[in-house]
Amino acid sequence: MAKILVIADIKEGVLKGSTAELLSKAKALSAQTAVVAIGSNIESLIADMAAAGSDTQYIADDKSLELFSAGPYAACVVAAAQQFEADMIWFGFSEAGKAAAPRVAAQLNAACATEIIDVTLEGEQIQVIRPAIAGKVIQRIQVNTQTLVAVVRAGAFEATPGITGTQNMVKLSIPAPDLKAVIKQILSDASGEIDLADADIVVSVGRGARDQAGIDLVRELARDLSAGFGSSRAMVDGGFMAHNKQVGQTGKIVAPTLYMAIGISGAIQHLAGMTGSKTILAVNKDPEAPIFNVADYGIVGDLFEVIPILRQEIKKIRG
Amino acid sequence: MKILTTVKRVVDVELNIHIENGAIVEDGLQYVINAWDENGVEAAVQLKENNNAQTTLVSIGEQDNTDMIRKCYAMGIEDAILIDDPALVAPDAFAYAGILQKVYEKGDYDLVITGKQAQDTDSGQTGIILAEYLQLPCVSNVISIEVMDEAHIRVSRLGDSGTEIVEITLPAVVTVSDSINEPRLPAMRGIMMAKKKKIQVMDLAALGTSVEAVGGAAPKSEVAEFMKSKTRQAGQKFEGDAAQITAQVVELLANEAKVF
Repeated sequence: MAKILVIADIKEGVLKGSTAELLSKAKALSAQTAVVAIGSNIESLIADMAAAGSDTQYIADDKSLELFSAGPYAACVVAAAQQFEADMIWFGFSEAGKAAAPRVAAQLNAACATEIIDVTLEGEQIQVIRPAIAGKVIQRIQVNTQTLVAVVRAGAFEATPGITGTQNMVKLSIPAPDLKAVIKQILSDASGEIDLADADIVVSVGRGARDQAGIDLVRELARDLSAGFGSSRAMVDGGFMAHNKQVGQTGKIVAPTLYMAIGISGAIQHLAGMTGSKTILAVNKDPEAPIFNVADYGIVGDLFEVIPILRQEIKKIRG
Repeated sequence: MKILTTVKRVVDVELNIHIENGAIVEDGLQYVINAWDENGVEAAVQLKENNNAQTTLVSIGEQDNTDMIRKCYAMGIEDAILIDDPALVAPDAFAYAGILQKVYEKGDYDLVITGKQAQDTDSGQTGIILAEYLQLPCVSNVISIEVMDEAHIRVSRLGDSGTEIVEITLPAVVTVSDSINEPRLPAMRGIMMAKKKKIQVMDLAALGTSVEAVGGAAPKSEVAEFMKSKTRQAGQKFEGDAAQITAQVVELLANEAKVF
């Protein structure tokens, strides 16, 4: 029976849904499951972690682990993987995961695959499926080692309803802080805004919005829907939107239930970050814009005219 | 400060890619410098201009890489090394990192700058594994680099809950995001000078290693098959009276797609 260790995705004291998604996939592969949770004041989440489908919970809970630092974070994962004798170690899609996974793989002499969208296990042979070349191709990767470290793409797996696990907490020793790369400060995202990674609906704004007034108009739509508010590269480069709002190959990769691309033409790099969405709506003036090639619903029109009507109609239908 | 920066030659993602029998059709492909590596080169050249850094570039590949290397010379890179060895076939990130480790150890570098990922694999592993092999501090997804003193830099990186400010003791490895800068277009004078500059070409033996030693003969993972990406079908596109088509689309979102 394979053993799969999932890194618990904890943000602001809450266990995120991706943890149950990854554990559900692990159970679907008939694997034994464990999580490793790293942070400060997280022991209280043990019950949540068990309920998400883990049968063992490795915990590294210490004030020194409050701010993400890749070195100590990776050390905790390696310690848990070794104690559990994990065959696979899965990170959910996050910057922390992307920074830590290759370190963990190097330390465990394991293979490493990022952005995976599927994994198969036949006997001891592990294979993964992942997009590459800005999403233009899909690779089937054969793993030649016994152990694989993977970062799973957002939205790749679904949580199984009714999944459960058992509480069995194992405390890890706390690694020494990385004195050569010291995190001094986090300039946090605008507070009160919905995290793009978690949002059920994402509204993104592009060059068509022109300026701050246009952005504010589209932001109102996002607020109405309690949606995450994202951006194309053009608006980030133009200084209108923060870097961490950029959706695309180089920014955030999202897979919400509904993605609204407002005034976004649909460059390949942007498409790489959002074509995993369930439903896509595009609003664009240019009927030839490539975004319409991937959109389920397209409105050809000026967003300054369309957005107020869109808000009104949505309010009508949602009551 | 001595900087080592890495560049990879990658397929141009703007062009169509065709797949036959599980492999990418080479015919018609064009190759470019990996965009994130170009940001790394620009960051290195800025550190040369503003902080007197010395800049060396390394690329792993074949003679085809020389055009790309000359472009980096024209941008302001001072020295370049090309690692060209026929034994090296489709190296994985661990093999690249193993080779870069040998290059690093031959110089007396203070800072390694790599792109945060390569456009062809989108993996984002090589720079981080290199740091692990060298036991150096590493910060990934960096959007600014500031020199504090001879032995320290301050960088900012895009993290999960905001921009993280990290102080790093050199030597170190950083991987950069394209948000860090806008790579310059080389001036004509730079392009002319770049044509005359020498590129140091080495094989693995000259580096004091071999394809087996860097793990290139037994990759930890390999691409078994390339497949076409599942392209989304274009859906329904509405043109005409804004009020009418918008109401229609909202109705479809609610009753057909059932997202509201």
